[in-house]
Amino acid sequence: MSKVTIYTTPSCVYCRMAKEFFKKSGVEFVEHNVAGDDAARDEMIKKSRQLGVPVIDVGGEIFVGFDKEGLKKALDIR
Amino acid sequence: MYDLIIIGGGPAGVAAGIYGARKKIKTLIITDSFGGQSFVSAGIENWIGTKSISGFDFAKMLEEHLRAQEDIEIEGDDTATAVEKTGNGFLVTTKLGKKFETKYILITTGSQRRKLGVPGEKELNGRGVSYCSTCDAPLFKGKDVVVVGSGNAGLEAVIDLLPYAAKIYLMERSDKLKGDSVTQKKFIDNPKVQILTMAQTTAIEGKDFVTGIKYQDLKSGETKALIVGGVFVQIGAVPSSDLVKGLVETNPYGEIKVNHQNQQTSDPAIWGAGDVTDVLYKQNNISAGDAVKAVLNIDEQLRKK
Repeated sequence: MSKVTIYTTPSCVYCRMAKEFFKKSGVEFVEHNVAGDDAARDEMIKKSRQLGVPVIDVGGEIFVGFDKEGLKKALDIR
Repeated sequence: MYDLIIIGGGPAGVAAGIYGARKKIKTLIITDSFGGQSFVSAGIENWIGTKSISGFDFAKMLEEHLRAQEDIEIEGDDTATAVEKTGNGFLVTTKLGKKFETKYILITTGSQRRKLGVPGEKELNGRGVSYCSTCDAPLFKGKDVVVVGSGNAGLEAVIDLLPYAAKIYLMERSDKLKGDSVTQKKFIDNPKVQILTMAQTTAIEGKDFVTGIKYQDLKSGETKALIVGGVFVQIGAVPSSDLVKGLVETNPYGEIKVNHQNQQTSDPAIWGAGDVTDVLYKQNNISAGDAVKAVLNIDEQLRKK
């Protein structure tokens, strides 16, 4: 399965939804809290060209926001 | 054939679903999410019976209460895309291509964020233009930002940004701030916050990311500019009534006109509750209460037949 990285802030509800979705679907992921980690924040902005969370990197495919259908496809979840 | 299809999963839709199930009305609720607009709120402190709850937990609480009902059917992760009148009721089509028939309909689709509609807003969305301060505030650490709109959502955006932004301009088109004074008090003396009233946003500027905002000073008529890295837009909402446009009467704002005694619309087989209607006050508690009124009235109608 592709490596999954999620960039979050602590108060972002869409980030929480995405993480719950991963847990429910048995997807392992690495989380970077960009509120406290400037390097991760810069990496996220570079990858996505966006200033918004969540940003989710699925093996190089970048998702901005919690796009459940898109993630299901990318992770082959039914 | 359902007796009732509820469209929407905010406080109105969920309240209606619970009452529908308890009244043994054959009910289907169609929604892709729960909790309504409060979902992104950092804290809801006026939901009666709950001192403080995050929007996320509020949504969960509503969903759990709804799912605890024995006889509720939920078409989740889906939205209604069309409602057509048939000989004996309605045909509702969904995004996933499903079709459901029903005698009666309750619209609880709420409303969605109003956009400024100025140059740069769409192009820079997610690149400094944000509609979710609880989500994105930490990304604006050390930056100067603007919050457009001073209703409660705008005031809350200022509070969300206070720990991060270097300077916050709160921009309001009318001559004074609108939201609750108890919320204003939380930042009114903070030197980081500068209030600009009689200020009408005219453009958001930037190439890759937001670099500034232009506005007209309505007192002098002059166009002014600010150098900022973020623009948080919180200027109210537009009712999501497109689904039943042409089926029921709406007012000039697009709100569905209802009889405020029983929530019935101009079509006697369609009811409405919550922010999508012409209810004067848009509040979670009121939406839930109005939806209860609607279902009790629907139950009466079903028993008459």
